[in-house]
Amino acid sequence: MRAPTLPLAQREAFHAPGIEIFEWPDIFHLEVAGVDLSINRVVLQMFFVGLLVWGLFFFAFRKPKLVPSGLQNVMETFVDFIRNQIVLEVIGRDGLRFMPYLTTLFVFVLFGNLGGIIPPILFPLNGRMALPAIMAICSLLVFISVGISSQGLAYFKNALFPPGIPWPVYILLTPIEFVSTFIVRPVTLAIRLLANMIAGHLILSVFFVATGYMLTSMNISAVFGVGALIFSVALIAFELFVAGLQAYVFTILSAVYIAGALEPEH
Amino acid sequence: MSESGPPKEPPGRGADVVWSIIGTLVAGVLAWGGIGWLLDQWLNTRFLVAVGIIVGMAGAFYLIMKRYGSG
Repeated sequence: MRAPTLPLAQREAFHAPGIEIFEWPDIFHLEVAGVDLSINRVVLQMFFVGLLVWGLFFFAFRKPKLVPSGLQNVMETFVDFIRNQIVLEVIGRDGLRFMPYLTTLFVFVLFGNLGGIIPPILFPLNGRMALPAIMAICSLLVFISVGISSQGLAYFKNALFPPGIPWPVYILLTPIEFVSTFIVRPVTLAIRLLANMIAGHLILSVFFVATGYMLTSMNISAVFGVGALIFSVALIAFELFVAGLQAYVFTILSAVYIAGALEPEH
Repeated sequence: MSESGPPKEPPGRGADVVWSIIGTLVAGVLAWGGIGWLLDQWLNTRFLVAVGIIVGMAGAFYLIMKRYGSG
């Protein structure tokens, strides 16, 4: 052990932030019929992001101009991206009627994720299971409804009994198809987003807390702290990339599922 | 199998095929592993969950080959 020469050397040992940084105390406690409806910071952030997305689209397209400028220009970038890179690519022209759902989904997921790197919020909304789960269930309900409305009840037959297989094999395959289509799809959709956001937030927190600890340590660690600081900033750029990528993946997979429900597999 | 129309595979579909294959593998193990586990609970045995996992994996492989194989 190094002899404590400075008061700072006697401070607490480094404690890395863990999963507890995802727990927020209730700001306003509310319970209705045994269901906890308390408002905490994450819920406030959710309201804020929801309002923000609504406001951005509302004010961008309230008086749309033929030659867009300002906010309309920015929001049209999102719409164009979803239209050309996701909807036309994955579903085709038939999918343009799902533009509102997919665009809202993408922008909401993106802005929720971006909270993780924007001060003073610094918390990724999708780092809590509630939102990814609800959005995944929405996508599940959307693609089931699309399947039923475009194929009728034959949708379930097509989804559960893939063609071109001798009938006894259906005993083996139909349970797999059921689990893969109606359970694994939404669960992986939600977990992929949640896990990416939890991991990113944990990495950022550990790096910044450790950087601060080293920079203020008044010994040789401070030198390494400078390197850690530079790396931390690079990690923010990486998180920016992950925030966009995960919003894109969530949206494109929802589109793929809708496309799969629109027409029976060949 | 006879297929109607030319195969139309939109570009940029690589990623979701990968996810779909992984999903099918997981689903195979979950579905038949789950069935095996339930049978284990019912018959008071211990080996059916393992049998189920293997059966499910085999079924998932078969399904993947049928759907994404070159055939």
